[in-house]
Amino acid sequence: MTEKTDTKDETGPETRVETGGATSRRRFLSGSLAAGGAAMAAGLAAARPAAAEGESVITEVQDWNRYLGDGVVSQPYGVPSRFEANVVRRDVEWLTASRESSVSFTPLHELDGIITPNGLCFERHHGGTAQIEPSQHRLMINGLVDTPLVFTMQDLMRFPRENHVYFLECAANSGMEWRGSQLNGCQYTHGMVHCVVYTGVKLKHLLEEAGIKTNGKWVLAEGADAAAMTRSIPIEKALDDCLVAFKMNGEALRPEQGYPVRLVVPGWEGNMWVKWLRRLEIGDQPWQQREETSKYTDLLANGKARRFTWVMDVKSVITSPSPQAPIRHGRGKAVISGLAWSGNGRIKRVDVSIDGGRNWTTARLDGPSLDKALHRFYLDFDWDGSELLLQSRAIDEAGFVQPTKNELRAARGENSIYHNNGIQTWYVKADGTVENVEVS
Amino acid sequence: MLKSPSAALLLGAALLVAGPALAAGDAGKGARVFKKCAACHQVGDGAKNRVGPELNDLIGRVAGSVDGFKYSKAMTEAGTGGLVWDETTLDAYLESPRTAIKGNRMAFPGLKDADDRADVIAYLAKYTKQAAAPAPAETKTAESTAAPAAAPAATSAPAAPAAIPAHGVYHLGREATTDEVAAWDIDVRPDGVGLPEGRGTVAQGEVLFTERCATCHGDFGEGTGRWPVLAGGRDTLKADRPEKTIGSYWPYLSTVYDYVRRAMPFGDARSLSNDDVYAITAYLLYLNDVVTDDSFELSRENFTSIKLPNEANFIADDRTAEPHYANKAEPCMKDCKADVKITMRARVLDVTPESGKGNEGTTKVD
Repeated sequence: MTEKTDTKDETGPETRVETGGATSRRRFLSGSLAAGGAAMAAGLAAARPAAAEGESVITEVQDWNRYLGDGVVSQPYGVPSRFEANVVRRDVEWLTASRESSVSFTPLHELDGIITPNGLCFERHHGGTAQIEPSQHRLMINGLVDTPLVFTMQDLMRFPRENHVYFLECAANSGMEWRGSQLNGCQYTHGMVHCVVYTGVKLKHLLEEAGIKTNGKWVLAEGADAAAMTRSIPIEKALDDCLVAFKMNGEALRPEQGYPVRLVVPGWEGNMWVKWLRRLEIGDQPWQQREETSKYTDLLANGKARRFTWVMDVKSVITSPSPQAPIRHGRGKAVISGLAWSGNGRIKRVDVSIDGGRNWTTARLDGPSLDKALHRFYLDFDWDGSELLLQSRAIDEAGFVQPTKNELRAARGENSIYHNNGIQTWYVKADGTVENVEVS
Repeated sequence: MLKSPSAALLLGAALLVAGPALAAGDAGKGARVFKKCAACHQVGDGAKNRVGPELNDLIGRVAGSVDGFKYSKAMTEAGTGGLVWDETTLDAYLESPRTAIKGNRMAFPGLKDADDRADVIAYLAKYTKQAAAPAPAETKTAESTAAPAAAPAATSAPAAPAAIPAHGVYHLGREATTDEVAAWDIDVRPDGVGLPEGRGTVAQGEVLFTERCATCHGDFGEGTGRWPVLAGGRDTLKADRPEKTIGSYWPYLSTVYDYVRRAMPFGDARSLSNDDVYAITAYLLYLNDVVTDDSFELSRENFTSIKLPNEANFIADDRTAEPHYANKAEPCMKDCKADVKITMRARVLDVTPESGKGNEGTTKVD
C-alpha cells in the first residue's frame, strides 16, 4: 500500500519524501522482476494474475475501500487526520527562560486561506495559561466612571453581539531577524500571527454602561492570569472598534487565547489584546505599565526609544514555497502562496519577485478582503528549475508600501526587536529546497 | 509580633464556630476531589512528603508539624500560634489557602465549592488513626462565608427576579463594591496615583530579594540563564548589544513597584506585602546605583521624588515619517536594481529548532 510515510519538515534533499511518481516507478520495477521470476518458475506464475499496469492505489483495492471506517462520534471533538500530525505549533526553546512566559508559532507554511484554525493559533503568555471556570470569571469596570460595574459572563452575553475577522500579530513577530536571517522557516520568522472570526460585544457598550467621565482619556485593560497583564489603550481606540470577545471561529475561545473572554484591538499589536480580561479602568493618563515601557518599546540606533507604537505595519510573506515547504514536484506549473496584512486596513496589492527584487509581478489576491484581516495571495507560474530569490511586497489601502529590511535598519538600527515588517527573501535552490536569506 | 494575622483569624474562627455549621462530607466523592491535591500531596500507606507534606493523621495535627517537611515561615508560625487541623480550620484553609494563611507556600487556588471541601475532608479523615469523629454536622448545607454582601451567587442558577439596575443603557451588570475595586485595582502610575501606604529599606529589600528573587534574577540583579537582567547596562543603549535594565532603560520607577506587586515572584504572584514591594524596589534602586545608601527607605511619601536615568529618552511613535513610508511612493516594478547577491544565509548560523545543530540565538523574550 502506498502511503506518504514521512511528512516531517524537510530542509534538505537527503530527507525528501518519495513522491507519488517515484513510488509508482518502484512498484513497476518490482512488478517486472516478479514477471521475470515467473518465467523461470512457470507453474507458480501461471497461478498468479498478471500485475495490472498503473498505480497500485488505483489498481488494487485499498483497505479503506474495503473495510468500514470509524463510526460517528469516534472523536466527539474532531481532530485533524493523523497524516497531518506535523502541522502543529512549535516553539524555539532558546528564546525564553521558561515555557510559562514564552511564545509558540503558527505553522503558516501548512495553512491556506485566511482563517487560522483555533488549535494552531500561536500562543504568547506571560504567566502561563490561566484556567478559569466561566462562572468564576468577572469583568470589572472602574476608575473615572459614573458607576463602577461588575459583569458576569452571562451579563456580557446580553449585550448586542458582532462578528469580525481580524488578524492578531505579536509586535515581536520577525523580531529575531533584525540582525539578519536567523531562523529557517516562515513558521519561525512570521508565525506570530493568526486570523480568526471573533464574536463579542463592543467595548464601547460596556464602557458606556458604566458611564465614562469627561476626563476619561485612557483605558487600562487587565488580565486575570498570573501575570495580571496590563496595557494602556487610548479612549478613541477603545470607543472605535475594540471588542470584548468570547468566541473565536464560532466556538469558545481556547484557554491559551484567553478563555472565557479577551480584548480585541484590531490592527494593533497583539500584546494589547489582553486575554482572560477581568478589568477595565478609565483614567486621565496612561499607566506606563511594564509591557509598554520596558517591553514593546522600540530602541533606535541613537539610543532613543519609541513608545506606544501600536499599529502593526503593512507586511507580507510567501508561506509556500518556504524552508519548511520546499518545492517537491520539480519544474513546471507551481503555485506561490502567501499572506499579507496591515493594521491600517485592507491590502490593496501584493507584488511578487522571483529574482530578489529586481522585477516584480502583481500577485492575485484571492478570497475575502477584510479590514485588518489576513489576505491570501497567489502567483501561478512556470518554474524552469533554476534558482529563485522569492520576495513579496504588500501595499495597503492607506498607501503604505512594505519596506525592505535594509530600509528599516537604515531608519532604526538593529535593536528595535519589535515591528520588523521588512520584505522576506526565500532562496529556492534547483533541487526545490528553500532557505531564509538576505540579499543586496 | 503578630506575623500572620490572617492565621490568627482562622484560629479564631475555629474556636468560635461551635454550631453544626459544616457539612458532613462524602469520602467517596472526596477521593475524586483529592485528585486535584495528589499532584503535590500523598496520603495512605507509605505516603511521603513531596511538594506538599504527607497527609496521614491530618485531623488533629498541629499545622506545620510534619517532620522533614520544609514549611513556609507563615505555616510554621500558624502552628506555633495554635492552629490545629480539624474540619473547621481545614474548610477555611481549603476555601482560599492564600488568604487564610498569608504567605504560605501552597500554590493551590482553593476549593470554592463547600461540598467539595466537605468531601475531601471526609476522605482525609479516613486516613486519621484516631477514628476522627466526623464533622459534627447533620445536614449538608453549602454554607457561604460572610463574603461581600453584594456579591451575587457564583454559579449560573437563575437568580431570583431582581430589580433592574438604573445605570447605563442596557442596565446590565451590577455596581462593584468598594472592597472589590480595592482588591483588583492595584495599578500605580508615574505620578504616584495608586501607591499604597507603606515603606521598606534597601537592607530589608536585600534580604527579600535574596530569598524571593535571586534564583532567577541573580543576587545582584545580573540575571541567571535567560531570566531578565535587572541591574547594570548603563550607557549601553547605543551599543551593539544593549542591556536594557531598570537603571539603563526603564523610564519610571512606578512600573517596578506596579509590576513586582502584580506579577512577582514568577509563579507566586501577589504573595508580597506592600512593605515588601517597597523594600525590593528600594534594593533594585540600590543595585542600579540610583540610591547609594543601604539605609535608604522608600515609601509612599518619597516615591515620586525618585527619577530613573533614562526617562527623557522615550519618544512618540514617528514611524510614518521614516523615508520608506513618508512619501507613499508607487514602488518600482522593472529593473529595480542592477545586481542581486545573497548577503546572509540562515544556514550559516542555524539556530532553527530541529536543524539538529542545537545552536542558540541571542534574542531573548520574557
